[in-house]
Amino acid sequence: MKLTRRMTLAAFAGMLALGTAAPAYAADLIAIITPSHDNPFFKAEAVGAEAKAKELGYEALVLVHDDDANKQSELIDTAIGRGAKAIILDNAGADATVAAVQKAKDAGVPSFLIDREINATGVAVAQIVSNNYQGAQLGAQEFVKLMGEKGNFVELVGKESDTNAGIRSKGYHDVIDDYPDLKMVAQQSANWSQTEAYSKMESILQANPDIKGVISGNDTMAMGAYAALAAAGRKDVIVVGFDGSNDVRDSIASGGIKATVLQPAYAQAQMAVEQANDFIKNKKSPAEEKQLMDCVLINGDNAAKLETFALTN
Amino acid sequence: MPNKPTCSILAAPILVAMVGISLTACKILPTPSGENGGNAPAFNADKMVGDIWAAKVVPYLQQKAGSFPEVHALAKADPAAAGAKYGNPKKQANSPWTFAVRLEGKVVAANTQSRAATMDVDADGDGKADARVQIGPAMRGTALRDSLDFIQFNDFTNQIDFAQFGKAFNIHADKTVLSKLPREALEGRSVRIVGAYVMGSGQDLPLVTPAEAEIGPKP
Repeated sequence: MKLTRRMTLAAFAGMLALGTAAPAYAADLIAIITPSHDNPFFKAEAVGAEAKAKELGYEALVLVHDDDANKQSELIDTAIGRGAKAIILDNAGADATVAAVQKAKDAGVPSFLIDREINATGVAVAQIVSNNYQGAQLGAQEFVKLMGEKGNFVELVGKESDTNAGIRSKGYHDVIDDYPDLKMVAQQSANWSQTEAYSKMESILQANPDIKGVISGNDTMAMGAYAALAAAGRKDVIVVGFDGSNDVRDSIASGGIKATVLQPAYAQAQMAVEQANDFIKNKKSPAEEKQLMDCVLINGDNAAKLETFALTN
Repeated sequence: MPNKPTCSILAAPILVAMVGISLTACKILPTPSGENGGNAPAFNADKMVGDIWAAKVVPYLQQKAGSFPEVHALAKADPAAAGAKYGNPKKQANSPWTFAVRLEGKVVAANTQSRAATMDVDADGDGKADARVQIGPAMRGTALRDSLDFIQFNDFTNQIDFAQFGKAFNIHADKTVLSKLPREALEGRSVRIVGAYVMGSGQDLPLVTPAEAEIGPKP
């Protein structure tokens, strides 16, 4: 009974959404769904995608799922209900997202994934992701060099449901584990979060005062870890991040964090919108669904050229 | 605007609204995944590489490779032409070219202190290093994997599997070829390498990852 009522209500909501969406057909709509903009990386994606969508004559609907798969599913319903012609999505989980993207596909709305993969092909039209493994290897090679191939270190890992957390960790270890004098004394997830990284780093440092380096799965965790180290008077600890944020750029410039790896987030989001446009207007899919974009090492040599997840010349 | 009949455009959202409810009514839980991101345990990158190494990988590189001075000169003058001739035409659009290459020359310097050991090779006889060759045990990059036109990222579940596969080439090269090479007094010896390198943009020497390597006796 309850279920029927919910369905009726939702059917009404669907009709309502349809009614309000009708006038908007004047300009076609592209939905842009990412994790929270608290992390400037995701903000750069949303800004890049929105700018490109507007440039190509679309209206943009910018939404955030806060890494909650249920919320993401609702947002996809919203995008479908509003008559979006395409969805640009940085998703909330490699497994949990497959059904949501399939739902959009079944409704005739193609999805173009950026940044994170899903564990299925043939559901999204495109999956454009940074070559996280290649990037992690660059970061790890720099870390190994900074560490002089020896010493105790800590690894901060990202959110487990995100393929990128595992792939970066794998990339780091494929390089670092070749050096037997580099010893990992702690490995913890701080779920991509700056505040969580701060508190985790505080307790790791208490238990392991003899650490020489911290390698982090992203920049926000690197910022949190470095803040905790600085507060404990341990600015000597080598910290390396991943993403290429302006915060870490500024930290590198002032001698704090030593290096990071730039993911071309802005360009990637724009590329996804271009492919969506090609699909909407010409019914043309990209040659390959899964596309990799190479990352670039950022250290003291080139940090000054970094701005909003892009390198200037 | 695609020339779809209006009715289907209107009908689609209603249908979806219904589908949407049936999905939101039940809670979608992520599948628990292990350290490797939940990929199937059946995936065995080392075995896959072992299976194709002698039958496909080495023959492909031998057939595709150009001599280093030729490849490098063409890559500098006309990267696209070098890519068409010595590169993997199915590479990712945003990735630099990876070239199959045959390198012959003399070792002019070696770094065997690092675990990522290398030797610098003079290929044109001017006494100066033209390329740096990785001799392991630690090796960088995925040049061997990326040089092969029969390997596609789309054939793998995710980046983790693809990465493991890339690493497996380096492990195989180290185990079957590089670990057997001499490490002492390399300067002045002659070398013959078949391998691959990624076109760089910086000032660093091109970094060649060998699939075959021979080092001559001490001079």
